[in-house]
Order: sequence, then C-alpha cells, then structure tokens
Amino acid sequence: MWFKWAGAVLIVLATSLWGNQQAAKMRRRVRQLEEFRLALRLLMAEIGYTATPLPRALEYVQGCLGDERVKQFFAEIVLQLGRPEVGDASQAWLRAVEVCRGQLSLRADDWPLIIRAAAGLGGLGRESQLKQLEAAESQLAGHTARVAENCVRSERMWRYLGVLGGAALVIVLL
Amino acid sequence: MVKMEWKNQILPILPARLQNIFATLSGQAAEELEEIRLRSGKAIMICTHRGESFVGLDGVTGNFSEAVIVTAAELQAVLLTVAEYSLYARDEELRRGYLALPGGHRAGFAGRVVLEENRVKLLRDISGISLRIAREVKGAGEALLPQLFCTRQQRVYHTLLVSAPQAGKTTMLRDLARLFSDGDQVKGRFGLKVGIVDERSELAGCYLGVPQLDVGMRSDVLDGCPKAEGMMMLVRSMSPQLLVTDELGRPEDARAVEEAVNSGASILATVHGHCLGDLMKRPSLAYLLRQTLFERIVFLSRRKGPGTIEEIYNGETVKSRLVAEEMGHVV
Repeated sequence: MWFKWAGAVLIVLATSLWGNQQAAKMRRRVRQLEEFRLALRLLMAEIGYTATPLPRALEYVQGCLGDERVKQFFAEIVLQLGRPEVGDASQAWLRAVEVCRGQLSLRADDWPLIIRAAAGLGGLGRESQLKQLEAAESQLAGHTARVAENCVRSERMWRYLGVLGGAALVIVLL
Repeated sequence: MVKMEWKNQILPILPARLQNIFATLSGQAAEELEEIRLRSGKAIMICTHRGESFVGLDGVTGNFSEAVIVTAAELQAVLLTVAEYSLYARDEELRRGYLALPGGHRAGFAGRVVLEENRVKLLRDISGISLRIAREVKGAGEALLPQLFCTRQQRVYHTLLVSAPQAGKTTMLRDLARLFSDGDQVKGRFGLKVGIVDERSELAGCYLGVPQLDVGMRSDVLDGCPKAEGMMMLVRSMSPQLLVTDELGRPEDARAVEEAVNSGASILATVHGHCLGDLMKRPSLAYLLRQTLFERIVFLSRRKGPGTIEEIYNGETVKSRLVAEEMGHVV
C-alpha cells in the first residue's frame, strides 16, 4: 500500500514541477521582453547622446543586460556585422533573430516586435533613427505590459494545473 | 612615407570583389597611389602624381575596355562599411561630403543631396566615392622651418602657406606642426605646445578622435571643429604656443586669427591661391594682409614636385606691395 502512496506523491510532485516550469517560462518571457525594452532604451541613449557606432553601441548594450539569452542575441548581431556577406545592420539583426529564436523564451507573437526594431537600423540620420527606435520601443512596451498582465493569471493557472492535474491523475489511477 | 600600408586600411572597407582586385595591385601604381575613384556604372580609376589609370582584373591598365565597372550596390556597401553601419554616427561628416578613415585616409562622396531649410541634410543615392590616401612626408617642412622660426624669441612667425590645390600645403603644414611640436634640442629649438584645428580631418587624419598621422608629441588636435570656434577653444583651454589650421577663407576665420594673435599664440595656416592677387580678392584675407598679421607668406607649387617653395614674403613687404598696387589703381 505504501508504494501506491509514494507513487501518488511522485506523480503530484512531477506534475507540480511541470506546472511550475510552465509558469517560470511565462515569467522568463516577460523578463526577456523587459530586457529587450531596456536594450532599446540603452541603444537610443548611445545613439542620441554619444552617436556611438552600432558595433560598439551594441557591445555596450550587451554588457548592461542581465539575461544571458538576450545578451547572446546582441552579441550575435555584432558577430553578424563582422561578416562580409551581411550588407547592413538590419540584415545583421534579422540574422541574429534566426540564430537566437530557439534559445529565447519568446513566443511567435513577440518576434514581429523585435524584428520591427531592425527597420532602417544604421541607415538613417540620428533623429530619424531615434524616432524609429522610440516607436519600436513603445510598441514593445505596450505588448510587454499586456503579456505581464496575462502572465500573473497564467502563472497561477499553470501552478494549479500542475498540482490539480497530478491529483486528478492519482485519483484516476487509484 | 606610407607605401603599401594603405592596403591594410583601405581593403577592409571595400566589398569582396573590389578587395580582390586591389589586393593584387602592385608595383609603382600601388606605391604611389594617391586616390581611388569609384563611380557607379563606371570604370575604377586610380590617381598618382603621374596621372590617372584604370584598374582591370589583372591590375593597372590604360585600356578603358579592360577596366572593372563599379556597381551602385558596391558604392552603398563602401559607405555603410566606412560608417560602421551607423550613418547616424557620421551624419555631420557626411553632410560635408566626406568621412575620415583609419590611417588618416579619407572617403569623399558624391550623390543626391537632400536639403532642409537650405542646408544639406543628407547625401543619398551615392554615385561616386573618392578614397584619398593620406601620405605623410616626414621632413617635408625641414627646408622651410628655419625661415619661419625666430630663434632669439623662440617663437614661430605668424605664417600663411599659399598654393593651388594638390601642391602639398597640407603635407607641409602637418610636417611643420610635427617639427615645431617635437622641437630639436641639438639646434636649440625647444618643442612648442601646438594646437591644431582640423576641421576636415585632413591635417592629423583623426579617426575616432585619435590622430592617425604624426603631428608631434606636444600637439593637441580639435577634430572636425569649425576653424574659428576651434581656434578660440584651443586658446582658452590648451594655451597653445602655436595654432595650426588649414584653409582659411571665411570672415569668421580672419576674426579668430586676429584674436589668437592678440592672445599671444603664433599662427600657422594655409590658404588656396596662386599669387598675392588671389588673396587680395578675398576680403577677409586682404584685411589680414593689410594688418600685417602674417609675418611670413610662403608660396608653394608642384613645379619640382609637391611642396616646392616658390617664394617667401615678409608681411611688411606684402603690405607695401599691396599699398603700392592700390595707389597704382587709384592713379
């Protein structure tokens, strides 16, 4: 009898863990979106205040970020800029999206906003460049706020789902 | 003398196809290269002091039909690479039509100009690029230096170097700045604090603010700064004993020269022109000459190669000649 109970506990633990993992993924998504917003703001400051060229500005941005995956994304853009086959900074950004897409916790509806920041990157005058990045950042901010709001609800849902799903499975099996 | 060093600095900014072509360029043309001309849909041209030639797949050629044709995409790629994929970072320079390159070289651009309130806003649809190879000729100013230095007062005479374009004014000016800045203990000439206002990044060839050419150990460079403003800034902030600047011409430059002279700094400057008459046609320069602000006026030419010293005038002599000419006119 005791191993039945031990099995039941294991099942509930495993499903709770899965639920928690899903919740953590949601939190990570919000954190990474916030990191991208921060990166865009830092990039705007580098462009607006010191007019730092992109390779150095992106390296600086990368150094200020906390999330390793987002850092890696910006490192990838710098890497792509050094490749002779890459024609401009927009192209380098899009290539970095392709390379890093699987490594980040972002969802399909997040990427168009990240991609939008690449439009005209490096090919515009300072004022236009800042306006363009501001527009991208403000869209990303709105989207991040919506995702964060959903996240609070979904996080709780995944946790309950994990525990209750495990409990339901145990009841069925017993 | 920069010989083939330009290849290390210029090749990385060219697209792959052009890189391969110029990497194989060798011999006299490569050693004496002064300029590479890239024009959209036209043949690649190179210039040396001997003249122009085309560049083909097998190197320099005099035959137009063998020349390699440059595409608009290649020109755009050069622009983006030179600007480090960040046009916003170099838009001030681009408005003036050129960008400084590592090694002191320069890329000049031609294309469609977009105006905003009668001011150049940007340059787009690039149709031509001129890559000018910076050539530092150390020792170019040695022959002239004794004429411009007062050993007793340990100061440089206020000097104006005059020549037509491409006659070696800037090279001479750069070397004089270096010589005065370094000094020569053996000849009893102490090094001077030299302030250089390099509006077009030609003199010191600054790249990211750092001089790429040797302008001397006691030289401070204000890069990309308008001459008049820069001269005043240097006088206030760096207390130079010698102020060096290229291509005077605007009225505000003349005012700044006057201010700088009054502050106690010596002036070493250049101006375009063939003869005194050319200078007198420019009111601001004529004013400076009449005031005898310049103690030495040196005319240079290319007669025996760039930097040939044609004549050295004393400021007083120039003034008396001008007065005599004006009297003659009145009569």
